[in-house]
Amino acid sequence: MSPILTIIVILVGLYGLATSKNIIKSVFCVTIIESGLILLFLNLGNLEGGSIPILSGLVENIVDPIPQALMITTIVIGSTITALALMLCIKIFHHFGSIEWKEVLGREE
Amino acid sequence: MNDFLAQIPIFLVFIPVVFSIIIYLFKAKWTTYLSFVSQVLLLIAFFAYLSFWRLHPGDHLLVFGGWSERIGISFFHDGLSLTFSFLAIFIFSVILMYLFKFRRKDHKFFFFFLFLEGIFLGMIQTNDLFNMFVFLELTTVLVTVLISYQKSGPSFQAGIYYLLLNTVGALFFLIGIVFLYNVFGTINIRVLQELIGTQGDRTVVKFAYVIMMSGISVKAALFPLFTWLPKAHGVAQSGISALLSGLVVKGALYVLIRMERFLFVEAGFHMNELFFWIGVVTAIVGVTFAISQKDMKQILAYHTVSQVGIMMMGISQIGLTPFYGGVLHIINHALFKSLLFLGAGILIKHYQTKKVYEIKGALKTFPIVAVMLIIAMLSISGAPLFNGFVSKSMIKYAVKGNFIKEALFFLINLGTVTSFIKFSSVLFGPKAILVKEKNPLQIISIIVLGLSCLGIGLFYQVIASSIFGITISTNLWEISHFLDYGLFLVIGFLFYRFVVKKDYLPFQKIRHFKLTFESANYMFVVYLLVVLGVVFL
Repeated sequence: MSPILTIIVILVGLYGLATSKNIIKSVFCVTIIESGLILLFLNLGNLEGGSIPILSGLVENIVDPIPQALMITTIVIGSTITALALMLCIKIFHHFGSIEWKEVLGREE
Repeated sequence: MNDFLAQIPIFLVFIPVVFSIIIYLFKAKWTTYLSFVSQVLLLIAFFAYLSFWRLHPGDHLLVFGGWSERIGISFFHDGLSLTFSFLAIFIFSVILMYLFKFRRKDHKFFFFFLFLEGIFLGMIQTNDLFNMFVFLELTTVLVTVLISYQKSGPSFQAGIYYLLLNTVGALFFLIGIVFLYNVFGTINIRVLQELIGTQGDRTVVKFAYVIMMSGISVKAALFPLFTWLPKAHGVAQSGISALLSGLVVKGALYVLIRMERFLFVEAGFHMNELFFWIGVVTAIVGVTFAISQKDMKQILAYHTVSQVGIMMMGISQIGLTPFYGGVLHIINHALFKSLLFLGAGILIKHYQTKKVYEIKGALKTFPIVAVMLIIAMLSISGAPLFNGFVSKSMIKYAVKGNFIKEALFFLINLGTVTSFIKFSSVLFGPKAILVKEKNPLQIISIIVLGLSCLGIGLFYQVIASSIFGITISTNLWEISHFLDYGLFLVIGFLFYRFVVKKDYLPFQKIRHFKLTFESANYMFVVYLLVVLGVVFL
């Protein structure tokens, strides 16, 4: 997959955020942006036919390990954000009886 | 010994974090008092490091794990980060004092509160872009929890709005980091700073710059991305609002300074004018919204937006005086906005209402709180002798000689004065009969903030030379400044009396204006495209 495709994934997420009227859909769009970002970085750090990054001195043509290390952290952070956001969705549904942005934000108190 | 002192930046992060975990795990009665111990330890550690930092000019970098600087995660301290670290510790301590009696038995709250302090200090000290992103995201998560802590409908609503919008901003910040890594093969800020001017593909670097600045603009609440701020700061409890307005927004501004003036300075994009105008628009829009509000906390929250605009006007400038004015305004705003929120919190708690016209007679009912509120109001509206005036005069150098800019600056000041004349209506009137709660710690906390506002206003020469190493040449105590401020007060009062108080239709329209989440994201895309257009053309 080329980096261009991953950028398209990010743009799809952005489009979803700017149009979706449902809170859960918005949460998923954030996740889509994040997945696109992870794919983008892994693609950029990838090496066709490269081998695993182990400091033994025997392997050559190793893949850059830093993108992978960073992206694991990003995945962890992303799952935290998703979990917290979905928890808030549940709470919002209990309070407002709806998870549409319009009905949730339109109401005072 | 020196080896140990050089390691102190780690302790600044881990002291609050470890104490927060201890408080959460051991739910005995006395453990919450440990939060004070952590603040004292932090202050000791900070001053020990400060003396070490002064004596060893070549030893300000701390790389973890024995890696080379290029690969490893590192902390770096310069004057700016030290100033912000001290500000963070100070504001957290004061707000802890304010909240303590009310929250004494709430161990979970102290967990989030102290954890946020550790993360915030980490964000200030880090020298690694990815590390900075992680800290940014962690502050987002923790602040979301603190906003929703009341467990009411509006607080959940503000929480999710804040969380999603800021996560999008932070993710775009990360995309920028990805591009930078792809070009330079490092994410160390100091190494990048040297490489960025000479090497690499210009187009990709520009693209990374645009994306990172747009992402961080969401967190810094610049126009038109500030919509989450009034929601979040208006809904949270007063102590938390003070923390958010006073400090957490400044964290984003700090990252913005780091990007604009340190990381990308050699790249030569010269976006000062753009960010100056974004600051102007932010300030004007914030003030307009603030004038039309009737809810005390909403007024203060929109004023945070407008003051962020003024800070941007300062820190976007190349000239050192307006830049330091912007930084000083960040510090001053942290002091007087926390003071306003805390004072308003005491009033709201006793009067049981947030409506500004329903609270009367604070001067007679709560004399100390009212006097402190007056100090804060004079500071924020830029009265001579108070700290807001010093930083605003320094920022004014940026607009000197340009008629349009001067007029706009005048308008912003006038709006601020007007809306605080409106705010000051809570002070006057007959004494209210209320059940008063004795809380000496709370009173001490606001007195400390009030005195520090006055202190910076009076001893600005000493403070400017010790923090920034500059001298302010002009005398700020000339009679003409007092006359100017008096004129502001008169015009502001007339404007308030005959226009604002009548509550004409435009004000009602502005008050009920709401931006949906979709449009907020749409605004983000537009903002991104505008910055992209300006940078590439």
